[in-house]
Amino acid sequence: MNRITRMMMGIALLVCVSANALRAQDKCLSCHEATVGGQPVEMFKHDIHHAKGISCAGCHGGDSKTEEMDQAMNAKAGYIGVPKGDEISKACANCHANAAKMKSFGSNLPTNQFQNLQESVHGKLATNGKERIVQCTTCHNAHGIVAVRNASSPVFPLNIVKTCTKCHADAAFMRMYNPSLPVDQLDKYRTSVHGIRNAKGDAKVAQCASCHGSHDIRNAKDTKSKVYATNVPSTCAHCHSNAEYMKEYKIPTDQFDKFSKSVHGVALLTKHDLGAPACNSCHGNHAATPPGISSVSKVCGTCHALNADLFSASPHKKAFDDRKLPECETCHSNHEIIVATNKLLGVTSEAVCSRCHSEAQNAKGYAAAKAMRSLIDSLENNEKKASELVNEAEQKGMEISEAKYKLRDAHQARLESRTMVHAFNEGRFREVASKGLVVSATVSAEATDALDEYVFRRIGLGLATLAITILAISLYVYIRRIERRQAKGVQ
Amino acid sequence: MKTLWSKTYHWINERVELDGLVEFMGKKYVPVNSHSIWYYFGGVSLFLFIIQVVTGILLLLYYKGGEALAFESIQFIMSKVQFGWLIRSIHSWTANLFILTALIHMFSVYFGKAYRKPREITWVTGMLMFFLAMGFGFSGYLLPWNELAFFATKVGTDIAGAVPVVGKPMMVFLRGGEEVTGATLSRFIGFHVAVLPGLFTVLLGIHLLLVQRQGMSEPLSYEEESPKERKTMPFFPNFLLRDMLLWLIVLNLLAILAVFFPWELGKKADLFASAPAGIKPEWYFLFMFQTLKYIPGKVFVFDGEVLGIMTFGLGGLLWLLVPFWDRKSSRGERNRFINYIGLFIVLYIIILTIVGWIL
Amino acid sequence: MAESTEPMDTQENRRDFLKYFLGGGLIAWLAAILYPMMAYLKPPKQAEVEVTSVKAGKVGAVEKDSGTIVRFGNKPVILLRNAAGEFRAFSATCTHLDCTVQYRKDMGLIWCACHNGRYDLNGRNVAGPPPRPLDEYRVVIQGEDILISKKA
Repeated sequence: MNRITRMMMGIALLVCVSANALRAQDKCLSCHEATVGGQPVEMFKHDIHHAKGISCAGCHGGDSKTEEMDQAMNAKAGYIGVPKGDEISKACANCHANAAKMKSFGSNLPTNQFQNLQESVHGKLATNGKERIVQCTTCHNAHGIVAVRNASSPVFPLNIVKTCTKCHADAAFMRMYNPSLPVDQLDKYRTSVHGIRNAKGDAKVAQCASCHGSHDIRNAKDTKSKVYATNVPSTCAHCHSNAEYMKEYKIPTDQFDKFSKSVHGVALLTKHDLGAPACNSCHGNHAATPPGISSVSKVCGTCHALNADLFSASPHKKAFDDRKLPECETCHSNHEIIVATNKLLGVTSEAVCSRCHSEAQNAKGYAAAKAMRSLIDSLENNEKKASELVNEAEQKGMEISEAKYKLRDAHQARLESRTMVHAFNEGRFREVASKGLVVSATVSAEATDALDEYVFRRIGLGLATLAITILAISLYVYIRRIERRQAKGVQ
Repeated sequence: MKTLWSKTYHWINERVELDGLVEFMGKKYVPVNSHSIWYYFGGVSLFLFIIQVVTGILLLLYYKGGEALAFESIQFIMSKVQFGWLIRSIHSWTANLFILTALIHMFSVYFGKAYRKPREITWVTGMLMFFLAMGFGFSGYLLPWNELAFFATKVGTDIAGAVPVVGKPMMVFLRGGEEVTGATLSRFIGFHVAVLPGLFTVLLGIHLLLVQRQGMSEPLSYEEESPKERKTMPFFPNFLLRDMLLWLIVLNLLAILAVFFPWELGKKADLFASAPAGIKPEWYFLFMFQTLKYIPGKVFVFDGEVLGIMTFGLGGLLWLLVPFWDRKSSRGERNRFINYIGLFIVLYIIILTIVGWIL
Repeated sequence: MAESTEPMDTQENRRDFLKYFLGGGLIAWLAAILYPMMAYLKPPKQAEVEVTSVKAGKVGAVEKDSGTIVRFGNKPVILLRNAAGEFRAFSATCTHLDCTVQYRKDMGLIWCACHNGRYDLNGRNVAGPPPRPLDEYRVVIQGEDILISKKA
């Protein structure tokens, strides 16, 4: 190996001066071409390494300068033959993990690919337990390696799908490593906007490596994975927020900014709530596409099931369908869904109801919206008032855990009523809301009692203090009297 | 009314000779001097102890021991039982004031050298009662079974466990096992409501009897004055009525404290929760707690904590035995050395308590 | 002092006056002390500490395939008994927005009415918006009593 290294250094020194001269000196290639021939030789001629003046010995070892077979392919000259298993990747890493060496060939490729590969999901041991699942050559081929930019490379954006699915669409193969992993990603991908464009020859759209990474592919449950739930938005945004890059597709590039501000974005990115949706939760993973007008409520409904069910049974369902309005999105928007407040409901200018229900055109709906808003407002106000009273009583040192416990029911009724809005039925809404109003009233009454008790304690203390003061003063006067008497007696 | 009263008196007098007692009381005089104010602290301590007995018995009517119910029963007392909040707050406040007044009483006796012959036994019983009072405080603190108490007990018994040789068995004895658990609570209830009150009552009886028999001590400087210049006041009714006046004021103070600063209950102890930040013992243990923090881990070959505990133990023992090694005061001579020691200890306790409180 | 020069009878009157004050004050003081004590001794409406925070009832009283809400301190706990008769307990506070969950016999699930959050009988969030599983509590059967306590 040492000899090879030294030799490589020699090559490195000379490569800039005369790569051509060196190529001519590659006796391995010339001899093999003349005697054996075949695919490896033919392919290597187009290999980027050949172009850079690296001989066969670069990977296989031996002395490429001599025509004597015994000397050239001698173990003493460092000849190793065909590398097997992990030796393959190690042979590549010899140069590709060495920044100085790579620089000497005029390359500015990153030098951490080998390390990344070892740490990736593909760096795990294969079934034979002796080598890793994937070697460099698995994706890049052995002879005939060309730059990624080159359309003939197996890892060129248009080819990469095929390269990955060589294994990932093979159910029998995948079962050995991850039986639960689907093998239909390609089929799904071809239905996505990305997949369709990729098939048409658009090398800019996302393919496997765009989202999963290349050497550093990790399991989606690995927090370092580019497709880990909290990392998905920034992975998508890598392209979708790049206005320059997205220019030709004529779609907005502000989704990430909007999403980050949304209730979902805050939950996912700030609070790290993995239950909150990322881009793929609504748009799909491999079959990424905008949800259609009719499917948006199904998408939201996967999590907000009750709301979706109520909505589907509500009179709004038909009205929205007739007008081709997307269901949830019409009121809640899409990427920038903010926390729904009471303001959405009712007939004020901010309320979404009033967009369709005006007093003149739709008096019934207008009245219902107005009534529901006033109910939810009073529900919230009463709960707030009750909670303030409880807090006040608690701060004043009153034991009020019982009422505090009941307050939970008011909170629950309010949340339930917020869901019940989606039935768009005033009667049902009133039923839930009144439950909360009753609880709030009870809690308020108990808290007020506690506050009254607080006042009573002070009055009681005042009275007791008065009694003690009277007694103390009269006792004092009495002592003085006795002592005066005693003084007189002594005199 | 009057006849009924005198008849009853006569009936008892015939049997137990009350006259002798009244005569004794009537002839008893309390010295009057510029240090007289300190004489009242013993009486106030006695009054606070009586309050503790009464409120303690009242609390015992509703309190339920045991890990599952201790906290809830205090919550119950404070919310469901009429005036339960008052009784509990008074009990907690009185506990603290009692330690404070007993502490003042002790130091006034110390600086007045009132422990000198013939009052050695009074001093020793008083000191023992003070140690018991700290035991009352320590055991009573755990009974609500709240978070703070739980960890304070854990730390407190841990410190006891650091004493060489006897420490470990003592800790296991106190905790009723290796850890602070429900078993510790049961034990502490036993100490708090049976063992300590029993011992305390015996000591208190001796203490009061001796005070009555021997009368109040006077500072050494007053003994030099001629008997004519020494002013006195009859114990009964003058001093007793003054005592009562003060007791009334103290009682009112307690009621005000209980209403305006009700004693908090906090969160229920969770055996498996991690300790909340800033765990501190009760203020009267704070100076020792703080000292142990400042002692380095190793002093020469000794373990710092052990050394600290041993020093406090030895100090307490010397303090308890002061009438026996302060021969000078017993002979009626001045002993400034005693004053310097006392002053140093008072300053030390005050400063470290404040430091411990703030930090 | 000025008072000592006063005639004897005024002093006697004043003494009587003082006696009234002393007596009245004493009675008022006794009332101020005895009233709270007597009120304290009067058994409260709810005669005992509520023990439900830990004791959730008798084994025989809980049906199989059911769930009940039990108050644990200031928090509700849902006590489940499955068809096989085993007990489990979980915090009944939904991890989404703090509603109180309930057992749905028809679904065989723990269900939250507010947003249709669902948890399986191991407390794991299986559907809807809840971000985390429910905290589990320990159930110990002591004779006939069901005891619920916090898990380590």
